[in-house]
Amino acid sequence: MVLRRGVVCPFCGCLCDDLEVEVEDGRIVSTKNACPVSRSKFLSHAEDRARPMVGGREVSVEEAIEEAARILREADFPLIYGLSSTESDAQRMAVRLAELTGASLDNTSSTCHGPTVLAAQECGAVKCTLGEVKNRADLIVFWGCNPAEAHIRHPIRYSITPAGMYRQGKKERFVVHVDVRETRTSKMVNQFVKVQMGRDYELLSALRAAVRGYEVKEAAGVPGEVIKGLAERMKGCRFGIIFFGMGLTMSRGKNLNIDAALRLVRDLNEHTKFLIMPMRGHFNVSGANEVLTWLTGYPFALNFSRGYPVYNPGEFSAVDLLCREECDAALILASDPAAHFPAAAVRHLASIPTVVIDPKVSLTSKLARVVIPSAIAGIECEGTAYRMDGVPLRLKRIVDSPYLPDREILERIIERVGG
Amino acid sequence: MEVLLNTGRTVDQGVSMERGKTSQEYFEKVAVAFLHPEDAKELGVGEGQAVRVTTEFGSVVLRCSLGNTERGSVFVPMGPWANALTSALTEGTGMPSLKGLRAKIEAVPGGKPTTLEELLRSWRGRSGSA
Repeated sequence: MVLRRGVVCPFCGCLCDDLEVEVEDGRIVSTKNACPVSRSKFLSHAEDRARPMVGGREVSVEEAIEEAARILREADFPLIYGLSSTESDAQRMAVRLAELTGASLDNTSSTCHGPTVLAAQECGAVKCTLGEVKNRADLIVFWGCNPAEAHIRHPIRYSITPAGMYRQGKKERFVVHVDVRETRTSKMVNQFVKVQMGRDYELLSALRAAVRGYEVKEAAGVPGEVIKGLAERMKGCRFGIIFFGMGLTMSRGKNLNIDAALRLVRDLNEHTKFLIMPMRGHFNVSGANEVLTWLTGYPFALNFSRGYPVYNPGEFSAVDLLCREECDAALILASDPAAHFPAAAVRHLASIPTVVIDPKVSLTSKLARVVIPSAIAGIECEGTAYRMDGVPLRLKRIVDSPYLPDREILERIIERVGG
Repeated sequence: MEVLLNTGRTVDQGVSMERGKTSQEYFEKVAVAFLHPEDAKELGVGEGQAVRVTTEFGSVVLRCSLGNTERGSVFVPMGPWANALTSALTEGTGMPSLKGLRAKIEAVPGGKPTTLEELLRSWRGRSGSA
């Protein structure tokens, strides 16, 4: 039995780095400090593994790589998508492959915090690290997110209960949850504010007005006195932060909701220190934005068909490309669009030659022409991942694996494509 | 009954997804429509019974589960069943419309939830509902 300490969890954007993992005979047998989803990921790492396939027939990995390269070489307008559940060297290789093949390149942020990126490009964002939140924040606002189910250890490691340098646990913090329904998160906070579905922009705008001293009445189902009280609390705190999620990015308004939230935070900084942070989902979706931005200047939804990167969400984002039936081949890396895209996009994906690189059987792999199994980043191979606050952490290899890391598979495809 | 559709993550969805998306556990935890008990009573369905959820974009049969949502809304965990119902319209952002869609919900006496195989067939066959 080998005990590994200080293991970084490769599930969500919290990248909890205090896990302990026990390994026996090459298999993970127990975890400590892991949330239920993380525990499931570590303990199930050997289950439901993908096999190398071409056209539904099991083949060698080399044969699958050869066919993947052929598909990309022959495609006129390929799409490379995903990237967020792998490490940053693989993301770098995906950019290289996209450049070589003149592909469109998108990562899962286009269907999570792409609208956040768009809004931040418009008006900027006041940011900090999770460590600063833990040490200093006395007002935490969760808006349109449910960390109790999606970022399970966020409240105990960073936001609600941890003992920080200047804040000792929950008693020295006031926590608000704004959402369309009461969830497990609502039970952990001091105040729950119920906003009507699809009307967050209205409530954010009313809050901005209240912060500026205007009289506000009911907005989005929230009484005027509640809005005024929240505005006063925000202005009066020493260090406040809004953590927000898909409740803002996926609902009516999308990037405009985020724009309103970012501008509210900017207004609040005339009174106190206030910050904002997206709750990033996939463990390295932040890394996907970082790597693409270093290498191309753009964080997602770009295209290389002119020989240089062109950025245009709505045109080169994966859902749009698929729904317009423009791409004639796809390579899906470390994500499962068949499980998480609207059916209209999945139908086109099912109709074109698709290559899937994934450790596990995914729904996209069920539709794909080529499946290439890979090692699980952070369990079976090392690498770098970016936490939701942009802090890079080193993922560890916990067990040996017969599978190649994503970066090596991509390198081999690049060699065959002609890189 | 006219409702608003909400989709999102749950602990059970995350845990079962990591066990495998083709597992029975994933099917049981994700092919679910969470309804307010009063809405379920009005529809005449109880815990575990089948309901059909339909939007402009598709239709699936799900297992009803009580609680965990507001009146006049249905919550479906993120995954292929939820996305049989969602809109691919991104309004120039890249982000499809996955929350707050108008939906119709009805009881399906004796019905069974749409299976993963049926969803896969509908994608391959380019049909609009499963």
